[in-house]
Amino acid sequence: MIHIDSVTQRYGATVALDNVSLEIRAGEFFGLLGPNGAGKSTLMSLLSGFRSATDGTIRIGGDAFSPENFAARRRIGLVPQSIALYTDMTADENLSIFGSLAGLSGSALETRTTAVLEAVQLADRRRDPVKNFSGGMQRRLNLAVALLHEPAILLCDEPTVGIDPQSRNAIFDLLEQINRAGTTILYSTHYMEEAERLCSRIGVIDHGRILALGTLEELLQTLPFEEEVQFAAHQAPPALIGTARSMGEVVETNGLCRMRPGAGSRLSDFFRATEELGVPARVFSLKRPGLEEVFLQLTGRTMRDE
Amino acid sequence: MISTILTLVRKEITGFRKDRTAVMLTFLVPIVLIYIFGNVFGVNRSSSGPSGIPLAIVAPEGSPAINSVVAALAAEEAFSVRRTWTDEAGVQHPFTEERVRADIHDNRLRFALVFPDDALSDTRFGLRVRLLYNPRNDIETQTVMGLLQKNIYTAAPTFLFASLRKSAENAIGVEDTAKFYDNIADAVSTAFKIDREELRSAMKEDANPFAGTGAGGGAEDFMKRIVDIQQEQLTGKEVKNAAATRMVGGWAIMFLLFSVTGSSTSLFDEKKAGIFNRLLSMPVTRAQILWSKFTFNVLMGLAQLLFLFIAGKVLFGIDVTSNLAALVLVCVCAASACTAFGMLLAAVSKSTAAASGLGTFLILTMSAVGGAWFPVSFMPEFLQTVSKLTLVYWAQEGFIAALWAGSGIVEMLPILGVLLGMTAVLNTISLVLFRRGSMFS
Repeated sequence: MIHIDSVTQRYGATVALDNVSLEIRAGEFFGLLGPNGAGKSTLMSLLSGFRSATDGTIRIGGDAFSPENFAARRRIGLVPQSIALYTDMTADENLSIFGSLAGLSGSALETRTTAVLEAVQLADRRRDPVKNFSGGMQRRLNLAVALLHEPAILLCDEPTVGIDPQSRNAIFDLLEQINRAGTTILYSTHYMEEAERLCSRIGVIDHGRILALGTLEELLQTLPFEEEVQFAAHQAPPALIGTARSMGEVVETNGLCRMRPGAGSRLSDFFRATEELGVPARVFSLKRPGLEEVFLQLTGRTMRDE
Repeated sequence: MISTILTLVRKEITGFRKDRTAVMLTFLVPIVLIYIFGNVFGVNRSSSGPSGIPLAIVAPEGSPAINSVVAALAAEEAFSVRRTWTDEAGVQHPFTEERVRADIHDNRLRFALVFPDDALSDTRFGLRVRLLYNPRNDIETQTVMGLLQKNIYTAAPTFLFASLRKSAENAIGVEDTAKFYDNIADAVSTAFKIDREELRSAMKEDANPFAGTGAGGGAEDFMKRIVDIQQEQLTGKEVKNAAATRMVGGWAIMFLLFSVTGSSTSLFDEKKAGIFNRLLSMPVTRAQILWSKFTFNVLMGLAQLLFLFIAGKVLFGIDVTSNLAALVLVCVCAASACTAFGMLLAAVSKSTAAASGLGTFLILTMSAVGGAWFPVSFMPEFLQTVSKLTLVYWAQEGFIAALWAGSGIVEMLPILGVLLGMTAVLNTISLVLFRRGSMFS
């Protein structure tokens, strides 16, 4: 559906995207996971036609994509990171303007307006000025605008930043629903739990490069351990650190030590050793690895370090 | 307590220093306006008042007396005295009354002094002169009238003495007139201790015998009764409310500039909100966004101008309907030029605050230099040249032509052409700058 081939984007001396190649299949819910400044929004801006890549090519549905290719752009719906709405206008007025620009008119526009407002649960507020909406409601309307013209591809650039859990869940439910209906979704986020919940395939991006690509399971399988032991650094006697290091890899970030058992080591052996050191069991917690650990494994730092 | 206050003051100073707009509005705007006002009121010049106002002279050749009046006018800094006009082939011709009437009607001239063939007559004592004028600017006209009277009255003793002697010679003969003057010279010499021979010699020439003696200074009141300056207003005679009609254009264009500039800088708000990001993901181009903004601002500017003129009609009785088509055309061209200015402002600025600050500075400066507040002719000549580069000047010219002079559309084409030319140039620069700048990136 989307073919990104050796795309590089430079801003002066800064390389925002460095030779990125990626393929997103039709009907996929693809997650682009990375910290702030990783290059997610730059990639989104290239795919939405906001700017042209310095190098490389993008093809959508087999057609070369560029800001001048209106036919390709009509297949795309963008949910920008910011609330890109006219806040002095009502929800209806916003949808009318953006719908018209997307090529809708007359009864088709009216039908779609009603449909998307119901989908984002704002039908009863359609005549209210957007500035009177809560942050979550504005986010939902932001999504509704992108869905108006029933795009084949939906680009979501961190669409849930700063909203309440209820609105977030409503957006997730809607995205899953439209994905099931066949819409290809490219979802950029720095929230790992979002990528884990929503995405059928995930690309991990950092410093403008795709570091890893695959399903959640495939990414987790790249880790050399299945579980890790976590403990606070200030509660750990030096002997404990030594023991942990003798049995695997220890990474300390933000005052938290993570011990990942090495090949041939077993957690039961580690706990037996800590018991002998007199370290109480309550100091430790066991955690199954997730995308956070994948990112740490790939970059040597956590996403929250950014 | 004190240290806390001082720390907070330091915070205020630091914040102020970083706010370039505030710094510019605080220091640069007053300095520029003070400079312009200072030049208008002559603070920085050898003389105050207008300079270089074109004054056409229609006069018969060979009259020393008239030449002395013209020389006095030419020496006046306020006037740029012209006795000839140049045709398309570059050939110079003396002004005729017919020619200056046409030039004043077409706003190539605003003042002309016509000395008729009988300006000085052997059979009539005194000077007759006719002033043809277009009082499109009241302050300028009043000032010019005053200066003309002053210069003519000051030069008058010279030609009036000659006129008086000529009349006497006609009446009683050359010999008796000479005797009469000799006797007067003897009496004046005795009474006022003036050298007799010097006085007699002076009285025989076409010169004021009292010049340099201190005896001619009180002659002005007397001259007012015997110098006949006939005034004829050629343009704007039918205008109902002359003062309001002259003023409305300048103020209207200033307010228009403020409003379209504010509207153009809303581009920054849309950029900040991510609207452009969304629009450009749709089948919309950057050029379409800019043209939509331009079109809206032109329409808004047109509506504002027409509203102002209708208000002027209701409140002050300004006649806006008798030349409505021309007025609407000027409004469209002026709104286009002002909008192009606003777009350029947005293109060269990096934020709404920067654009607003720069806009305020430029609008006030352009209004002052362009003649919205006082006559352009009151400024030094280099500022008069600069004023012709401002859209305020040309918009005012258009409004005056439509409302004051009642000019037709064809006559106004040069003014409209300048306004549209400015629009084209400013828009082209803006498009280039928008393409290179960060508004859409």
